[in-house]
Amino acid sequence: MASSTRFSTRSSRRRTAVTILFLFVFVAVFVVRLIDIQVVRAEALSADSLGNRSVEQPVFGSRGDIVDANGVVLAGTVMRYNITLSPRNAREFDRSTDTGDVTVTVAQAAAEVGAITGQTGDEILQIIAASLAADKDSDYAVVMRAVDVAVFRAIDKLDIPWMYAEKNPGRVYPDGAVAGNLVGFVSSGGEPQAGIELGQDACLASTNGTETYEKGADGVRLPQSTVTTAQAKDGGDIVTTIDADLQWFVQQVLAEQAVATGAAWGNVVVQEVKTGKLVAVADYPSVDPNNVNGTPEADDRGSRAFTSPFEPGSTFKALTTASVLDAGLATPASRVVAPYRYLPPNGANVNDSSNHADLNLTLTGVMIESSNTGMSKFGELLSDQQRYDYMTRFGVGSASESGFLAEESGTLRPYEDWDNQTKYATMFGQGLTTTALQVSSMYQTLANNGVRMPVQLVAGCRHADGTMTDVPGAVGTPVVSAKAARDTADILEMVYQKAWLAKTWAIPGYRVAAKTGTAQMPDGQGGYTKGYLVSVSGFAPADDPQYVVSVSLADPVKLNSSAASAPIFQEVMSQVLKKYRAVPSGATAPALPGTW
Amino acid sequence: MSDNLARVLRPNWDSTPDIAPVAEPRHIEIVSPRSQRHARPKIVYALSAVTGVAAIVLAQLLLSVGISQSAYEVSRLQASQVELGRTAESVTEDLVRVSSPQSLAANAEALGMVSNSNPVYLRLSDGAVLGAPASASGSQAGTASLVPNSLLAGVPLVTDLPQNTGQGASVGGSTTERPAAVAPAAESNALPTPTTR
Repeated sequence: MASSTRFSTRSSRRRTAVTILFLFVFVAVFVVRLIDIQVVRAEALSADSLGNRSVEQPVFGSRGDIVDANGVVLAGTVMRYNITLSPRNAREFDRSTDTGDVTVTVAQAAAEVGAITGQTGDEILQIIAASLAADKDSDYAVVMRAVDVAVFRAIDKLDIPWMYAEKNPGRVYPDGAVAGNLVGFVSSGGEPQAGIELGQDACLASTNGTETYEKGADGVRLPQSTVTTAQAKDGGDIVTTIDADLQWFVQQVLAEQAVATGAAWGNVVVQEVKTGKLVAVADYPSVDPNNVNGTPEADDRGSRAFTSPFEPGSTFKALTTASVLDAGLATPASRVVAPYRYLPPNGANVNDSSNHADLNLTLTGVMIESSNTGMSKFGELLSDQQRYDYMTRFGVGSASESGFLAEESGTLRPYEDWDNQTKYATMFGQGLTTTALQVSSMYQTLANNGVRMPVQLVAGCRHADGTMTDVPGAVGTPVVSAKAARDTADILEMVYQKAWLAKTWAIPGYRVAAKTGTAQMPDGQGGYTKGYLVSVSGFAPADDPQYVVSVSLADPVKLNSSAASAPIFQEVMSQVLKKYRAVPSGATAPALPGTW
Repeated sequence: MSDNLARVLRPNWDSTPDIAPVAEPRHIEIVSPRSQRHARPKIVYALSAVTGVAAIVLAQLLLSVGISQSAYEVSRLQASQVELGRTAESVTEDLVRVSSPQSLAANAEALGMVSNSNPVYLRLSDGAVLGAPASASGSQAGTASLVPNSLLAGVPLVTDLPQNTGQGASVGGSTTERPAAVAPAAESNALPTPTTR
């Protein structure tokens, strides 16, 4: 019994050893295999497996909108689709229909697609042939770019196995040419090209991200397998100070009158007096950003109100008047004798626009008659340097704060460089250039008790969380005394009441202050063309100024005087007063004598 | 039965062997006490364990079937969400397009409305008319749109829509019933002039 026990112990030990050994070998094999898979070939294998199962796709960040002051979208992002195909796979295929499978040839498919995209079937076959000619393994050719959802769905329904749609975010401008010259446009590739689109791209631009997900053999996305590899970032919205409805009205009125008078171009600026905000900046000709090619001339695609300086002419006399009044060198009732031709001691030669006998005019009368000689006699009371300083404080010679792309500063040469004629010409708005915006800003200063507000076109960049950044400053700078500004406004009111256009621009119920300008246009070679730039600038209600309207029309060949611009001023100002519910004026304007 | 009762411990005289063991060995069987017998696993436990495991496996199987079924469901719903999103986007686009000033102005004109920017107010306190009332001439802001919008190409005016769009009473359909009611702008200055109260 003892020996048998010993024997059984020995055999069981051997068995145990064998088992353990076997287990060790077994585990070792697995460990080796595991290490091989998990460590040695891990990268290659997982890449291989992901390549089979995972799909990477771009996640489009949405480019920010450009909106008007009330949130109306002037420029927005929409999803568009590029219809593409795989040329090397383009062959006939079977389509299952109610009546059984039908074989569709490439030509048939091309014709079906063409009927939807507006191409001919041959054009599409041509695309396939051209792509294959370039590369016989070609797997990608674009049939049509940026089609909308309806077209995309119609093509999707055809179920052509070698045709694909890829996303392509597009830009749309729902209001068309309304503020088109300000908003600008983007290229077909989505690159900003002009206007606010380009100038404010830092705010608007979005960043595309990518995500990968894994799919099963049947193409179904596996749950929980989506990994965002790069976060997409939406752009911010640009909030402008423009009112889209008013902008439309102003553009419409401007275009109508510009066509009627045969003007080359024109613009209208409407500015809020108290804040310096631009509520409308209309340009003619205007550009429809949805159809940029419809406006062939490159200059017409921008905003001339910002980028085309001109000699302002008589509207500038308001600045000279305010300067003289502010310096205390004259009052609205100060008297001069205004001849037709004035030959100052320094050798300059100043003429009025039409021949007349010597007139006994007050400063008010000089403005009503828009007499260059009379204005010269007042202007020369100030030194050149004083006048230069007033001009720069009014914003002449430097681009405004609007931040509009490529805004011009206009030309104001240092007073030391003025020749004898320029010394006088600058008193009545020749020999220097201003943009329409600067003229508007000048009148805003006079309307706002002599305090110039920074010109605002963009109220800021609004981010997804509602915060606004890049909000422009709104601190005014005093330019002339409130008294001088008030007196100038009173004079301009007399101009409005008594100048030759009084009937044309009358707005019953309101007191208005305005001044016309008719300036010769430089021909770019030191001389002047035969055309005139006719303008009207003014503000209302004169007793409590709310809005500045400044109209400029270049070379209206059929009506070459400010009579061409006055109706625009009248209609736009009426609309502005009505729209913003400006209270009609109660008291009558103070009567200032124009002659003596 | 194990217990902890006190017992009188007496020598077990009877069991003391007083004679030599008999040659034939007795068949000895170890009898486990009751307590040990009780502790021994029963078949029911094994059964319940196996059942449990089976249940878990089955549950997991069903769960994963359910999940993958849901994956199809999710996939289908996501696809339909994308489709609906597309529809919403394109409808919004249409809406924004027809609410552009050009479209509104053209439709208003088609319905016989005339723009008038002449501001006139009636002061309620004394009935005074501020401004000079005049009937709209229709010249203001023009008739034809001079501010192009290529997005509106091919979009019909409300007056051009088919008159009877059926029971559906779409937005376009309900507005088309109105033109008949809209009389052309009154030629006479119909504004009552309240000189007295």
